[in-house]
Amino acid sequence: MLLSGIASAFDQEATYLVLNHFDKPLAGIDRSLIDNFNNSTFNFDSSVDALFEDIDDHDNPASKYMDDIKDLGRTHNVNFVLLNRIQHSGDRLIMEGLLFNTRSGGLIHRRKINLKNYNNGLVNELSLWVGKTKNQVQKGWEKEREAILFLNPEEISYDKTPIGAALRSLAVPGWGQAYSGNTLSAGLWAAIELSLSLAFISSYNNYDSSAKSYLENIKLYDATDDEKEIADYRDSAEKDWDDHVLYSKLAITLAGTTLTGWVSNSIHAWIFGPRPYTNIYQKGMPHSTLPKG
Amino acid sequence: MRILHGLKISLLVITIVCSCTIYDKIFDNPVDHKANEEQGIGAPTLVFYPKTQTVTQTDSILIGSFIVFKEDSTEPFSGIHLQIEFPNELMELDTIVPGIFITDTSQSTPLFTYTYDDNIVDLYAYFLGTVKLDLEGTGHLADLIFNPLTTGNDSIGYNLSECIIVDHEDAQIDINGMRGAEIIVQ
Repeated sequence: MLLSGIASAFDQEATYLVLNHFDKPLAGIDRSLIDNFNNSTFNFDSSVDALFEDIDDHDNPASKYMDDIKDLGRTHNVNFVLLNRIQHSGDRLIMEGLLFNTRSGGLIHRRKINLKNYNNGLVNELSLWVGKTKNQVQKGWEKEREAILFLNPEEISYDKTPIGAALRSLAVPGWGQAYSGNTLSAGLWAAIELSLSLAFISSYNNYDSSAKSYLENIKLYDATDDEKEIADYRDSAEKDWDDHVLYSKLAITLAGTTLTGWVSNSIHAWIFGPRPYTNIYQKGMPHSTLPKG
Repeated sequence: MRILHGLKISLLVITIVCSCTIYDKIFDNPVDHKANEEQGIGAPTLVFYPKTQTVTQTDSILIGSFIVFKEDSTEPFSGIHLQIEFPNELMELDTIVPGIFITDTSQSTPLFTYTYDDNIVDLYAYFLGTVKLDLEGTGHLADLIFNPLTTGNDSIGYNLSECIIVDHEDAQIDINGMRGAEIIVQ
């Protein structure tokens, strides 16, 4: 759902036209702007539903909408146009802010962040952004953002570690992946290793029985002077010999594959093992993640 | 502990793989024409079976004499003269009995005689079947029984230049090879 709001803010130094562009309704956001910036007056208007969506498609986004910005400035009698875009992506917020000067029509300030949502995070981040543009950032807002960070990182203990995952997978294929919470990967590794192991055991059994049969037939072949029996035992022994070579090669190949897979499974468990998140807060966004609308 | 478990599994797999022995493909029965061909001995071939035997001084040495033909190129024959050389310092001839082939599995009594002098046995046989004139294919010609004289090992063989095979019209059949036998007396 697209929510657009137009608010006019007037303070002693400058006047702002604030355009909010959110992907879902955000209750209390208007009220928070009024409360946090009480030296300004806000008027809300949801008649505009799409603004500057394609700004990044142009070589010089700062000057793309100069005429439109000037028109808005004249229409609303403001010095600046402030555009806020917010998009939700799972438990993360993708926020973009644009500040235009209505006298020149150019983009004078821009902020892009991708951060993990936290308690009252949306209102707080919006207040931080607007406050920064008005140079009215409150210490409380900055403190509140720190809630997404560990206050005492030295006290963090890791219950699950990559090496723990690797050792588990070395013991039982897939266990390390399951331990890391990757159940699909765990199932796949376990199934692959189980299949390879069964194929290896089957090949080895076939090799063993062929080899024993070959030795038995050779013994019988050597022990007889009957022409027909010699031919029969020789035929059987030749077939057994071919089989025992085939299954031996197959067993060695499968054993090698199983062993390689086993070690790879352990390395995989280590690489994709449990690690602390490092992308709690990210400044800037790749172009493709820019919110549309 | 888990590393140890993994190592144990790896060792088990390696042990199993190493136990996948490839056996040598050895077919060497003298009565097998393919085995003789593989050794460069063409058919028909005069051979002894077994090719090697180990006996004690109190045992008798029983050696079978065979003629081996290739399955698809047999030639009918009726009479044979085999000259056999044996190590007379190691063993002495006891007796020679006709093989089941030349007696037509005991249905006929062949003309069968032999002479021996020092280390040479001359064996003469002629098939006297009641319903057919010739024998055809691989078969057992005679059993030679020796008594050991002392310990040691030596071999017995055919003197191919004196061996003759003929059909019922006295036409000679070429013999293309022979295989001797080794006797070990302990």
